Amino acid sequence: MFQFLFKYPSPVFTKGRFVLLSTWPAWLLPVLIAACACGLAMLIRWRQRDAAPKLRSWRAWMLWGMQAVFVALILLLLWQPAITVSALSSQQNMIAVVVDDSRSMAIADSNGKTREAAAIDALENGVLSGLQSRFQTRLYRLGSGVKQTDGLMGIAPVESATHIGNGLKQLAAETADLPIGAILLLSDGGENSTGISADALQALQNRRLPVHTVGFGGLERAHDVELEDVSIAPSTVVNARLTATISLKQHGYAGQKATLTIRDGDKTLAVREITLSSNGTLQTEQVFFSAGGAGAKALRFAVVPLAGEENLSNNAITRPVLVSDAKRRILYVEGEPRWEFKFIRRAEEDDPTVQLVSMLRTSENKIYRQGISDPTELADGFPVRPENLFGYSGIIIGSVAADYFTPLQQELLREYVDRRGGGVLFLGGRSALSDGGWSASSLNELLPTFLPSGRAFQRNSATVELTAEGIDSPITRLLDDPAKNAERWKKLTYLADYQDAGSPKPGSTVLVQMKAGNRRLPLLITQNYGHGRTAIMATGGTWRWQMSEPLGDPSHDLFWQQLSRWLVADSPGPVTASMPVRTLMDEGHVQLSAQVRDQEFQPAADARVTAHIMGPEGTNALIDLAPSRDTPGLYQAEWTAEKPGAYLAEVAAETTGSQPRQLGRDVVTFQREDGIAENFHTEQNRALLEQLASQTGGRYWEPSNLKNLPRDISYSEAGISVRTTNELWNMPIVFFVLLALPIAEWLLRRKWGVV
Amino acid sequence: MTLSQIALVSVAVAGCYVGLRAYQRTADFGFGNDDSPTNIKAEFYWSRLAYHTSMAASSTYGRHSFWGFWGPPWARDYPKADRQFLIAMHRLTRIDGRPTEQVVTLDSDEIFNYPWIYAVQVQLWSFTDAEAKRLREYLLKGGFLMVDDFHGTEDWENFMNGMRQVLPDRPVEDLQSGDEIFHTLYDVDDKMQIPGEQWIRTGRTYEKDGYQPKWRAIRDDKGRIIVAICHNMHLGDAWEWADDPNYPEQFASMAFRVGLDYILYGMTH
Repeated sequence: MFQFLFKYPSPVFTKGRFVLLSTWPAWLLPVLIAACACGLAMLIRWRQRDAAPKLRSWRAWMLWGMQAVFVALILLLLWQPAITVSALSSQQNMIAVVVDDSRSMAIADSNGKTREAAAIDALENGVLSGLQSRFQTRLYRLGSGVKQTDGLMGIAPVESATHIGNGLKQLAAETADLPIGAILLLSDGGENSTGISADALQALQNRRLPVHTVGFGGLERAHDVELEDVSIAPSTVVNARLTATISLKQHGYAGQKATLTIRDGDKTLAVREITLSSNGTLQTEQVFFSAGGAGAKALRFAVVPLAGEENLSNNAITRPVLVSDAKRRILYVEGEPRWEFKFIRRAEEDDPTVQLVSMLRTSENKIYRQGISDPTELADGFPVRPENLFGYSGIIIGSVAADYFTPLQQELLREYVDRRGGGVLFLGGRSALSDGGWSASSLNELLPTFLPSGRAFQRNSATVELTAEGIDSPITRLLDDPAKNAERWKKLTYLADYQDAGSPKPGSTVLVQMKAGNRRLPLLITQNYGHGRTAIMATGGTWRWQMSEPLGDPSHDLFWQQLSRWLVADSPGPVTASMPVRTLMDEGHVQLSAQVRDQEFQPAADARVTAHIMGPEGTNALIDLAPSRDTPGLYQAEWTAEKPGAYLAEVAAETTGSQPRQLGRDVVTFQREDGIAENFHTEQNRALLEQLASQTGGRYWEPSNLKNLPRDISYSEAGISVRTTNELWNMPIVFFVLLALPIAEWLLRRKWGVV
Repeated sequence: MTLSQIALVSVAVAGCYVGLRAYQRTADFGFGNDDSPTNIKAEFYWSRLAYHTSMAASSTYGRHSFWGFWGPPWARDYPKADRQFLIAMHRLTRIDGRPTEQVVTLDSDEIFNYPWIYAVQVQLWSFTDAEAKRLREYLLKGGFLMVDDFHGTEDWENFMNGMRQVLPDRPVEDLQSGDEIFHTLYDVDDKMQIPGEQWIRTGRTYEKDGYQPKWRAIRDDKGRIIVAICHNMHLGDAWEWADDPNYPEQFASMAFRVGLDYILYGMTH
């Protein structure tokens, strides 16, 4: 129909360029049109007084409009309008037909056939023959790359991954010296990396290759629950509580209940029932669970399959988590014997991952040490040398005045937080914070608040309450459910004393606040400082949570264990190993980096760093990490994981020289997955196919509507193409319009009786 | 002489200027006197446990008329022993203690605000079920109890009757010299039997049939001492009579040292 009216097929108009063929100047056309229209208008106006009564109003102008359009059209035709468009010349070009060969094409949701079969059918039923009548065709299979095949028989959906962008880029590069006119891609759009990369599009656009995409596969699964992603910390300590953020999508089960499970081998760590939200929306759930014993684990996050689910292989995701039982040491300096000290020590005794080393000033010149590893530790009081202090992962400062520390020790404390990346927690007390002269000390900038002036420590009661940030924080989580947790905090018994810590600095976070009398004061304030972190717990009276709550209530101990873990968790060891991605999908290439520091926590420029990698099926490799050129203390190596499964890399560093000394070691775990990716996102990715087509100058086609494909595909600027000029003056629609305008005017005049 | 001994002797000597039979009056060194207000707040309160005396005991021992002292058994040496001890604690440690002592009972949950308590003449104590439950919870949550001034096997039996109401199945063990509790502030290695004030008249360090001093304790599941038992000795009198010229200084000094060690253990473990 379109072609009957407009003489040329629609791609000519969408891809072509409008030109005026006449040699007369182009600016003259609009000038003449305007002049004639004005002339007609003047004529009508001049004679309007004498015209028939009906014509004196808007009707006259309507007739003027039709006459003006008529004149303009005739003038336009005089200038010889045309459209130029590039078309591939017949028999001189090739069309690359690329068929997606990945496993997702084996899903049978195209009218009962598999997607692959539907694609082959579409090709056999006219597309290929239509193409071959004018062009040569080359057939390719697409998986993680493109491979040429001879006939349609060799195509079977077995590839484990789909990388459309890379495949097309490879195709463009391989056929650089061939006259490829266009690419026809038959796929379901299931791209296993994140979208089509910019340089793949660039490669196609450089050659002006249009990609015509034909999409196969249902746009939406009718009944399916799919796990999109799981976000979880890669390493943690024994018995710590972990938060896993699970995101999922579902179709067909809106409002129903589903069960999330987290398993480690055959041990179930957590079970949680959730209510599914509406179809197609991304739903995020948080699950808290205990990490369990030490070791490198592969945790499996799954949704129990619901009845009638079409795809069961997208219900589970595994993630590697490393649970370490390395003991972190915290140094606790206390200036006077008090109850808070006793109960904090008791709380930490129950945590096997933290060792609390304490020095207590029992009398003016006596220090009572507990938790020391040998008699010489802290024998001379608070350490003065970096190698003695930096061995601790965290420091707690109790009711100690600032001038108890010499200027050298104060500077060491600052370096401890800033350079070493340790954590310092200041408690409230009789000689603490502003009552201990800390506002005038050089360490004032370490504190997360601006200390007030005047007497701040009061032995009066204060009740506590979580702030909005505190409700989300793992430090203050006494109960898993956030609402119940907030309620629990409100009901906690009062503190024995409190201290005004002042106003929080910008950049600090207040997790708990307290109500003392009618004043609201911050209780627990944290902030990051340099590479480390500092915090204030503005009370010496949380021991009442242990003594005055019922026997067996874990609130006091749990809070202090979690606060201590926060204090030390991110304190780096002498060796910190990392890799950019912990889960490798289909690509085994991995880059391992290690930050190595010496005893004083300065970057160790010349150390010998090796990594021992253990993997599935007995994979065992020992590789050396080379020092980086730009960053001292950074060592890197590249490696490829061949087999899918869970891997563990242990990085060890030692000094070079005649007597090498161990600097430290660290462990990272990662996993390589193969073929799993094809089970996810199995619906047709129409958006990607449409975007690919529109950005390269092609078009998205549906498999049921391929009749015009062989004709439309020839309009392309690639390969060997010719620019044709198609004249528009003899389009049938032009004649119809030229005829229709006067007839319409005559009919109107008849209707108004002014013929 | 160590510095602490010099300090103790000077305290004792200064106390003599107050008078001979001043055992109900405590000297005023600017740190708490009889007129001190009792509503000062501090970190540590010397808390003496006022228990109910058992029915059998109250008939025979009820009104203790020893040396004109009239009062219930839990108040033996009260308040001078406590007051004098607090003076020593203030002088020799950094503990922020209130200068006046106080009395706590097991009738209310108020006792949970005082994690260290002291009880004497404990052969006379008895508990109702509610009181025993409260004391058991107090000890298991982190409280510390020091018991003192009971002598002989019969006293021990009566004490254990009460103790078994509170902690039915925890063993009582002897403390060794190397135990941590004797080394928190002072190293108390050579211990002797500390007699009460009766030594001045009788010259004997023991009372009834308690010939050997028994330093004993009950521990919790983690091995921390929660009840410190001083059987066949009388530390309270040593603190109270430290300023009496007839009471030997070595008993008083050792009593102060042991008491301070016990308090510091209770505040660090």
